[in-house]
Amino acid sequence: MRVNLQPAFLLHSRPYRDSSQLLEVFTPEYGRLSLVGRGVHRKARGGSLRATLQPFRPLLLSFSGRSELQSLVSAEPAGLAITLRGERLFSGLYLNELLLRLLHSQSPHQALFAYYGETLHNLSGEAAIDTVLRSFELRLLDELGYGFDPLWDVRAQSSVKAEAWYEYHPGLGLVECHSQAVPEHSRFAGHDLQAIAKGQFGGARSQVAKRLLRQVIAEHLGGRPLHTRELFRQFRQKAVQ
Amino acid sequence: MMKFSPALMDLIEALRCLPGVGPKSAQRMTLHLLERDREGATALAEALQYAMARVDHCQRCRNFTELDICEICSDSRRDRHMICVVETPADVLAVEQSGSYRGLYFVLMGHLSPIDGIGPVEIGLDKFQQRVVEEGIEEVILATNPTVEGEATAYYLSDMLLPRGIKVSRIAHGVPLGGELEYVDGSTLAHAFSGRRKLEQ
Repeated sequence: MRVNLQPAFLLHSRPYRDSSQLLEVFTPEYGRLSLVGRGVHRKARGGSLRATLQPFRPLLLSFSGRSELQSLVSAEPAGLAITLRGERLFSGLYLNELLLRLLHSQSPHQALFAYYGETLHNLSGEAAIDTVLRSFELRLLDELGYGFDPLWDVRAQSSVKAEAWYEYHPGLGLVECHSQAVPEHSRFAGHDLQAIAKGQFGGARSQVAKRLLRQVIAEHLGGRPLHTRELFRQFRQKAVQ
Repeated sequence: MMKFSPALMDLIEALRCLPGVGPKSAQRMTLHLLERDREGATALAEALQYAMARVDHCQRCRNFTELDICEICSDSRRDRHMICVVETPADVLAVEQSGSYRGLYFVLMGHLSPIDGIGPVEIGLDKFQQRVVEEGIEEVILATNPTVEGEATAYYLSDMLLPRGIKVSRIAHGVPLGGELEYVDGSTLAHAFSGRRKLEQ
């Protein structure tokens, strides 16, 4: 099977053998794909394939092969690289790791692909980082079929009430709880959940939204933490010192 | 099928650890060494053994050396207030050959690559910070590669150094000498424009 000029974003690459690279890419029609870019490094001397194959850059890839690991035939840029500066670069890497860990290979994700591109553009602008990341996380969970609904109390089988407290049960969803029974850092106020569902993550709510989505995502990561999050934590810690 | 003796087979197999050497080239090298250049082969074996036993990282810049402190770090004619941060020993060589820099180096032996689990400690940034403070460095030049990981590393470093009042600069990205604008990649050209330099009389 040969695929020509498939739009793609590179999520991650690592060196392979002498001059090749193993590429993890995200495409609309095939979802996450692993490709071998043979001689990518070598060509870097004459051409610029290595320079083209960078994350956050819209690409057009042609590849072929029958197995899980296909071969890259050609790569060309489909636009300018999206420049993420400073902290936003780490956020971009976080998105990539999230996709790498959660996306299933070889299943189409047209809408998510478009939304990923949009998210990168938002990140490169002035938009608040937290808001951009949370919207992407919610959308990602939705597109992958994990279907997390911040407005649904799974035990009561009804909508979340603004004045009640809720906690997140892995595998189930949100369940109403008593404010005394559950420590503050693992319970969520109903009115916050309602705001999160509307996409209002700003201000004081950003911490709540982060805490909630972190719990939901952790459930699907299978126990292994995200490295980018750890790096970001070290980075923040250093800033405090 | 004819087979070589075990010693020969071992040598062929061992040579394959070199980059770009497959079974056929390894066999050719082995036979060449045995047939024509036994002296060279002995020298190679000795040099390999010596280097493997002795060469380690310089305690200051992490570059490869068989000394405790490498020659560049101990050279008194160099500017001791400037440090250039690079990713690999090959980068040190490249900068040295350009002859345009007379300060010290720090070799990261990689770059931040969070997805692979390579964080600031793995590339020795804690050591680097300590060194900058202890040696009273005034200027740090970030010469990591202009890749996403290289930029992340540069940003992490600048964020670490700037609050300490250290001058930090990043190498320029732009059109290569002798290049033609028509063939330069769009992103590079965008960098070249945003980093343009004002001409003065």
